[in-house]
Amino acid sequence: MVMKLGSPHGSRVYWVTWGALLALTVVMFLVDGLSMPRLAFLAFVLSAMLAKASLIGAHFMHLRFERRPLALMVLVGLLLTGTVLFVLIAPDAVRIAAMNHR
Amino acid sequence: MPETAEQTLDRWSGGVCPFEAGWRKVMMWIFIITDGLLFAGFLGSYGYARLMSARWPDQAAVFDLRLIALMTFVLISSSATMASAVGAVHNPRRSSTLRWLLFTILGGAAFLGMQAYEWTHLIGAGARLDGNPWGDPLFASYFFVLTGFHGTHVLIGVIVLTALAVRWRQHLASAAGVELAGLYWHFVDLVWVFIFTLFYLV
Repeated sequence: MVMKLGSPHGSRVYWVTWGALLALTVVMFLVDGLSMPRLAFLAFVLSAMLAKASLIGAHFMHLRFERRPLALMVLVGLLLTGTVLFVLIAPDAVRIAAMNHR
Repeated sequence: MPETAEQTLDRWSGGVCPFEAGWRKVMMWIFIITDGLLFAGFLGSYGYARLMSARWPDQAAVFDLRLIALMTFVLISSSATMASAVGAVHNPRRSSTLRWLLFTILGGAAFLGMQAYEWTHLIGAGARLDGNPWGDPLFASYFFVLTGFHGTHVLIGVIVLTALAVRWRQHLASAAGVELAGLYWHFVDLVWVFIFTLFYLV
């Protein structure tokens, strides 16, 4: 069986992705310089971070062009672990910090 | 209704070529998942320490964010050149892949040089594994551990890519080998996206 290699759309998709990644990075730096509310800042930069990670995974690592079971095998474990670490456990740190400051 | 054996075979597309990807590529993906879990553990632990800390320093006062921006630009660009190297493997002119590989190696080496400069500067300013002049002692610990592990990955990538470029020039490396190296290099870039945002920016 011949293995699939590279993007079926040629190299153009890589440089478009590169441009999108740079644009997102520049916007993240610009937003960092603004004095916007902390929660809005966090929501923006974390969304931009996930968008950049998705672009790299989908286009540079070709997950978009692989068979879906392979992409799911990669994504489910990492997303599940990330969710547990950052959404379920992290709030404990805030509670402990609040207890320490009492 | 349970799927038939034919449906299972169709979904798996297994044999020596699982997921139509080849066993070596699947093994590389499994490595990337486990390595990704390692970094997720580091970053999760960092997040925990950060949220609990009342004395976390302002990063803008410690780091030169223009240097971090340049490091990010160089690493993202090297990922694009690596993707182009993979995209050029079927080009009859092998020099095309070799050229993109060399650009990628240069990008990786430049990133390492800038990281060495950053480490030297911070160590000179008093940053140590067990303390620093700016606030919570864990700040410098996480800086060295996170950027150190990531930098080690970049260094390994540069060594692997250099060996690959030499072998490609000698017609000893395969197209699949270039793609596997590419997957690793993009993973290194992917990890930096998280470190850059969570450690330097947030």
